[in-house]
Amino acid sequence: MTDVAVSISHMNKYYGGFHALKDVNLEVEKGERIVVCGPSGSGKSTLIRCINRLEEHQEGSINVLGTELNDDVANIDIIRREVGMVFQHFNLFPHLTVLENCTLAPMLARKISQADAEKSAMMFLERVRIPEQAEKFPGELSGGQQQRVAIARALCMKPEILLFDEPTSALDPEMISEVLDVMVGLASDGMTMICVTHEMGFARQVADRVIFMDHGEIVEEAAPGQFFEAPKNERTKEFLRQILSH
Amino acid sequence: MTISATAASIRNARPRGSLGNRLRKRYFSTPVNTSISVVGLAIMAWVIWTAFEWAVLNAVWRSPDGTSQVCRGIDGACWAVINVRWRLILFGLFPFEEQWRSTIACIVIVVVAILSCVPVFWKPVRLAGLWVAGFALFYSFISGGIFDMPYVGPSEWGGLTLTVFFYAAGVLIGMPLAICLALMRRSELPVIAVTTGLFIDVVRSLPLVTILFTAALVLPFVLPSFLIGDKIWRVIIGFALFFAVYQAEIIRSGIQSLPKGQEEAAKALGLSYWQRTTRIILPQAFRRALPPTINQFVITFKETALIVIIGFFDVLASGKAAFGSGEWSFAWVEVYCFVAMIYFVFVFSLSRYGVYLEHRLRVGKL
Repeated sequence: MTDVAVSISHMNKYYGGFHALKDVNLEVEKGERIVVCGPSGSGKSTLIRCINRLEEHQEGSINVLGTELNDDVANIDIIRREVGMVFQHFNLFPHLTVLENCTLAPMLARKISQADAEKSAMMFLERVRIPEQAEKFPGELSGGQQQRVAIARALCMKPEILLFDEPTSALDPEMISEVLDVMVGLASDGMTMICVTHEMGFARQVADRVIFMDHGEIVEEAAPGQFFEAPKNERTKEFLRQILSH
Repeated sequence: MTISATAASIRNARPRGSLGNRLRKRYFSTPVNTSISVVGLAIMAWVIWTAFEWAVLNAVWRSPDGTSQVCRGIDGACWAVINVRWRLILFGLFPFEEQWRSTIACIVIVVVAILSCVPVFWKPVRLAGLWVAGFALFYSFISGGIFDMPYVGPSEWGGLTLTVFFYAAGVLIGMPLAICLALMRRSELPVIAVTTGLFIDVVRSLPLVTILFTAALVLPFVLPSFLIGDKIWRVIIGFALFFAVYQAEIIRSGIQSLPKGQEEAAKALGLSYWQRTTRIILPQAFRRALPPTINQFVITFKETALIVIIGFFDVLASGKAAFGSGEWSFAWVEVYCFVAMIYFVFVFSLSRYGVYLEHRLRVGKL
């Protein structure tokens, strides 16, 4: 296996007549932390949703961990097991307890025994610092707690790559830091992460590369230092002015 | 603080009045209110008293000689008709000496139905085992032909036992069918989705009577002989189909109402279509579709009465037979009251169970 986690080349995505992603090229190495930002509607969520095939691309190729993403359902399931995702709205399963949320997929998709799945789930719940909530239902938790459970749920599959789709933008301000703390911890453990987020502090702190998207294109791609201090593109400058002005 | 808020806080701060005070305030506060309340109470009292007088005080309960003679010239209800004819109402044309078998068969189905409402049995394997055992027991008793019990064919089954059996079999076949139809209608393959949609629309637009008639009388001419089977099973399957198309749309509404994120989260975890469907989508869809599902179960229970038109004596038809002979023909109100009570017991239990389920689901458990 190579050290490349995700390799996207000349990828195009359309919604009917709307050209959502335009000739996207992106290479992510294992252990790399990428932050994707950009104005709403710029295609950043669509981009990461293509990586685990929640969205289909029409042209170009996406290669994840050496497997080409195509219509082969078996391939898709293999990739999804290795690529965890954390959603903006948590998407926990409300009819299952926190623990069951974490053990369901390992037991079904990885065929791990219930005892082992529960043991590893408790380990990850401890890591996101809510083991005491294991028997509760998601509806009984705060937003920040739910998002941390969602991260634990994704980790329980022991994925190679974690995708974050605006994980903090549905949270009340006082809960954002507890989720970001967990994400910073993951980053320092060497997890391959691709995060769509507007948390520029987080980007500065952990990202290896920041990608700026607008109108379905990757406009600028740079290390955080350069990205924030000396952006090249006018659209990037404009975006940073708006987002950092307050 | 606004004036009304102040008033509200004062009202809340004051200890609540006694029952008498509250009644006086609500119903007798003004002369108009008082007169409306008095007239209403008078009408209510009159209705209750008249019903009580008819149903209890002036009623005749038993008929010592088994004839309708005791009810001649009385003002009240002639419950003697139930006393004399209850076996006809409950068992229809089932051979008199063998009616204990029909009783046991009916109890078996009711007990199995109640057991499957208990959360302990909510595992596909347990439910399947329960119902297979239930129907096997039911059949050995009602059909006989074993252990010195003479054979009794489905054409002689009747009354409450037939209604309960017909309902249970119809719903049990109809439910999996409904789930399949609901899932197929949501298929990503247009051919399957459109065909299923068309099928549902066609069956839905046919009257149930037509479907039952076709199943009972037309199908034997069309089907190859090995597929014809017994008339009662053809009719049950027709009935199940009718139930299924409605229930399928109810389940589909439950699925549609789920946030898209649920399916996406399940996909992102690498769960297969069946794992997503059985563990994430359907359990949640059923909770959301619970009130209309109970509604459909209630409607379906009452629709079982339609099987009389193709010659089956369900509990309502048997009731009609009970006052059908000239001797008791005056006592139809009493018989209908009795049958209505049976329906009420079943339907009311169903709706109470629905309330229990909704409460349980609100807590989050299932």
